[in-house]
Amino acid sequence: MSGLGSWAARRLLFGGVQTVAVVLLVFALTEALPGDAAVALAGDQPDPVRIAAIREAMDLDRPAYERLADWAVGLAHADFGTSLASGRPVTSYISGAFGPTLLLASLTVALLVPVGVGLGVLAARFEGRWVDRLVSAVTLGVYAVPEFAFGVLLVTVFALRLDWLPPTAVGYGTDLLGHPAALVLPVLVLLSRPVCSLSRLVRAGMIDALASPYVAHARRYGIPGARIRYAHALPNAVAPAAQQLARTVDWLLCGVIVVEALFVIPGLGTVLMNAVAERDVPVVQGLAVVFGVITVVLNLGADLVAHRFAPRAEVAA
Amino acid sequence: MSGSSRSGGASGPSGPNGPAAVAVAVAEIEGLTVEVDGRRIVDGVSLRVLPGKVTALVGASGSGKTTTGRALLGEFPPGARVEGSVRVAEAWVGYVPQHPAAVLNPARRVGALLHDMARGQVRELPRSERRPAARSRVLAALEAVQLTDGGALLQRFPHQLSGGQQQRLVLAQALLLGARVVVADEPTTGQDALTKRRVVDELAAVAARGIGVVLLSHDLETVRALADEVLVMREGRVVESGPTERVWLTPTHPWTRQLLAVRAPLTEPVPRGPGPAAVLRVQGLRARHRPGVEVLRVPELAVHSGECVAVLGRSGSGKTTLARCLAGLHRTYEGEVLLDGVALPRSLRDRGRDRLAAVQYVFQDARASFDEHRPVLDQVARTAVRLRGVAAPDARAEAARTLDSLGLSGESAARVPARLSGGELQRAALARALLARPRVLVCDEITSGLDTVTRRGILDLLAGLLRDRDDLSLVLITHDLDTARLATRIAVLDGGEVVEQGPARDVLTAPAHPFTVSLVESSAGPAAESAKSAESAGWA
Repeated sequence: MSGLGSWAARRLLFGGVQTVAVVLLVFALTEALPGDAAVALAGDQPDPVRIAAIREAMDLDRPAYERLADWAVGLAHADFGTSLASGRPVTSYISGAFGPTLLLASLTVALLVPVGVGLGVLAARFEGRWVDRLVSAVTLGVYAVPEFAFGVLLVTVFALRLDWLPPTAVGYGTDLLGHPAALVLPVLVLLSRPVCSLSRLVRAGMIDALASPYVAHARRYGIPGARIRYAHALPNAVAPAAQQLARTVDWLLCGVIVVEALFVIPGLGTVLMNAVAERDVPVVQGLAVVFGVITVVLNLGADLVAHRFAPRAEVAA
Repeated sequence: MSGSSRSGGASGPSGPNGPAAVAVAVAEIEGLTVEVDGRRIVDGVSLRVLPGKVTALVGASGSGKTTTGRALLGEFPPGARVEGSVRVAEAWVGYVPQHPAAVLNPARRVGALLHDMARGQVRELPRSERRPAARSRVLAALEAVQLTDGGALLQRFPHQLSGGQQQRLVLAQALLLGARVVVADEPTTGQDALTKRRVVDELAAVAARGIGVVLLSHDLETVRALADEVLVMREGRVVESGPTERVWLTPTHPWTRQLLAVRAPLTEPVPRGPGPAAVLRVQGLRARHRPGVEVLRVPELAVHSGECVAVLGRSGSGKTTLARCLAGLHRTYEGEVLLDGVALPRSLRDRGRDRLAAVQYVFQDARASFDEHRPVLDQVARTAVRLRGVAAPDARAEAARTLDSLGLSGESAARVPARLSGGELQRAALARALLARPRVLVCDEITSGLDTVTRRGILDLLAGLLRDRDDLSLVLITHDLDTARLATRIAVLDGGEVVEQGPARDVLTAPAHPFTVSLVESSAGPAAESAKSAESAGWA
C-alpha cells in the first residue's frame, strides 16, 4: 500500500505543478487580451487621461511580473488579493459563489449516479431488446441537444407556458436551498447530458462483464441475479465510469457558465464571466487556482477508484 | 435447447457417504446430440459419472469433449439444438476451467464469491449467526484444498495469487458448493510436469471425498494417472470406452491406438555437430522486470548455426523473459545479446530490418498473434515485404509455397484466422516467421496449448525444418521434456538461474541438478502412484 501512497503523493505534487502552470497561463492570456481593468472601469466614454489615472491608482502601470510576484506572495499566505473592479477581497467572491455552485453540483451528482448507473445496468441487462433500444435512443437523443437549447425548451414549457416553476433564480440571492422550485430546471439541464454519457459507459462495461466467464461462473454457482449484476459485474464497469464521473463533477464545480447564466444563478460561473468582462485579473486568477486544485483532486480520486476496481492495471504517474 | 432435461434431486442418495452412493450415478448423460448450424458437435454420447470415480473424456480438440462436459453444467453453445437427456443427481455441478483466472472476478477480492455462496447456504439460521457460520464454511472449504491462512487469502485479489492457488481456489468453490460432480476442463494442459503432478493429486483428493470427477483432457499422462473410466471421443462420437487400464493396454479402436501411439518417443533428431561459430550468444545477461527485481541471470548461452537449443523450465522460471530478451521484446537487462559477435540493440525499435529478420519469434498463443480481420496468407506474406523488401506478388507466392510445405493448403490460408484451428494457426505463425529467412527462430511454448496429435505434427515439422535448413537455428522455450528431446542442447532454468546446461542426451539421461532430476522423474513415471497414495492418505 505504501507504493500507492507514494504514487498519490507524486500525483498531488505533479498536480500542484499543473495548477501553477494553469495560473501562469491564465495570467499571460489575460495580459494578452486587449484592454485592462482600467479601460473596463472607464466606462463608455474612455478618456485616456482618466484611464491612465485609474491605472496608476490600481498599480496597473507596474510591470506584469511584479504584479504576478506580489500576488503569488499573497497566495502563500492564503491571500487571494482584492478585486480590481470592486475592491472586495477575492476570497469573498469565491466563498460567496461557491455555495450555489456546490449546491447545484451535489444535487446533480446525487441524482446522476443512481440514474446513470441504473439506466446503464438496465440497458445492459436487456441488451438488444426493446428496453435497451428505448434507453439508448432516448439517451443518445438527449445527448445530442446542447444544454442551452434544452434549458430554453424547459423554461418555455414548464415556466412560461405551464407556469409550474420559476424561470430563473432572480431575486433569491445565494439562498437557493430556501427556494427548491428554482433548482428543479437547472438541475434537470445539468443532468441531461452527463446521465447519457455515464449510462452509455456503464452499459458498455456491464455488457462486457455480464458476458465474462467469471459472471457465468457465479451464475453457475447459484448467486441470485441482482447480486451478480450489482456486486459482481458492476465493479468491473466502475473504472471507466469513475473517470467520466470525475470529469462531470469537475465540469459542475468549475463553472457551468451556460446554465448559471441562463437561470441567473450567482455561482462560480457567473463570477468568472463577470470577472473576465471586467478584466478583473485577481478574481480570474483566484478562480483559476480553485478550479486547478479541484481538477487535480478529482482526477486523483478517480484514478484511485479506478485502481481499486481494476487492480491489475499498473498505476501510471 | 429443446429436449434437454436437467432434473435436480430426484435420483440422488440422501447422504454423500451412504452405502448406496457407490452404485448410483451422480450424473448421467443419455444419447446426447448437440447440433450447431446443422453440424453435429456431439453425436449420441452416453456417459455415467459414479461418485468417487474419475471419468475421463479423451480426444483431440474439436472432438466434442468440452461440449459434452459443459452439458453436465447445463450449458450449451448458443443456438444449439439439443437432443437426449442430461441428469444430475443434485442441482449443482462444480467446474474447474483450463485457466482458473478466467472465472475469478478481477475487480473483487477472492472471498467475495465464496461469501455470497456460503450466505445462500445459511439462510435458515438466525440472522446473528449467519455471518460467522458462512465464514466458517468458507474457511473449511479453503482448508479442504490445503489453502492455509485462508483469512488473509480471502482479502487478496485474484491477480495476487499464484496459478496454483487460483486453481485450488476454484476447487474450493466447487467443494463449498457441495457439488457431487466436478467437471475439470483441461486442468493440466500447458502446465509443467511438477504442476501437473500437483493438479493430479488435488483432483484425486476431490474424488476421494466421494465426488464424481469428469476430466476433459488431451493430456494422456494425466488421464492415465487419474481416470477410472475412459471415453475416447472422435468427431462427436464415443469410439471406445472402458476402464483406463483396459483401454491403455488393449485399445480396440484404431483411433485409440493412434492417439496412444503418439506418446512413443519420436525418432531421435540426426545429431549434427554444431557449426563453427555461435550465431547468437548471450553474455552476462541480468534481466529485471521492475527496478531492483531481478528475474533472470544467464551468464553464458550460445546458439550455434543449425542447432536446436531447448530452454527448459517450469512456469515462472524466467524462460520466456530470456526469449523476449533475445527477440528485443524485453529491454531492461544488463549484459549483451550478440548476433554474429555484434551486440544487438535492446529494443526492437533500434534493430534494423536485417537484424529484425535475423531473430524471429513465434508466440505461444498463435491466435492472438494474428489480425483477426485479414486472411492468414496476406499476413504471412507481409513479413517478406516488410523485412526483405520483396514485391507483394512475389511475397504472396512465397508465402503460399511456405504454407504449403508446412501442411497448410491454399484454401485454408486464404481464410481469416477465426476459421483455422489452433494447430493450423501455429503452422501459419511458423511460416510467417520463416518468410523473414531468420537465422534464429525463437519458439515460445508453441505446442503447449495443442492436443497430442497436433503437437506431434508441429514437433515433426520443427525437426524437418532443422534437417532441411542448414542455416536455421532454433531456440525452443518449453516446460515439456518431450518437446525438449528435439533439441541438440538443453539449458535448464529454475528461479531465473541456469541450473544445468549441456547436450540434450546428457541432460535427459543423466541429469545433474536436483531440479532437473525431479523434472525428468516426474515426467518419466506417470503420476499414478502419487494419485493413489493421496487417496489412501485419508483425504476424506
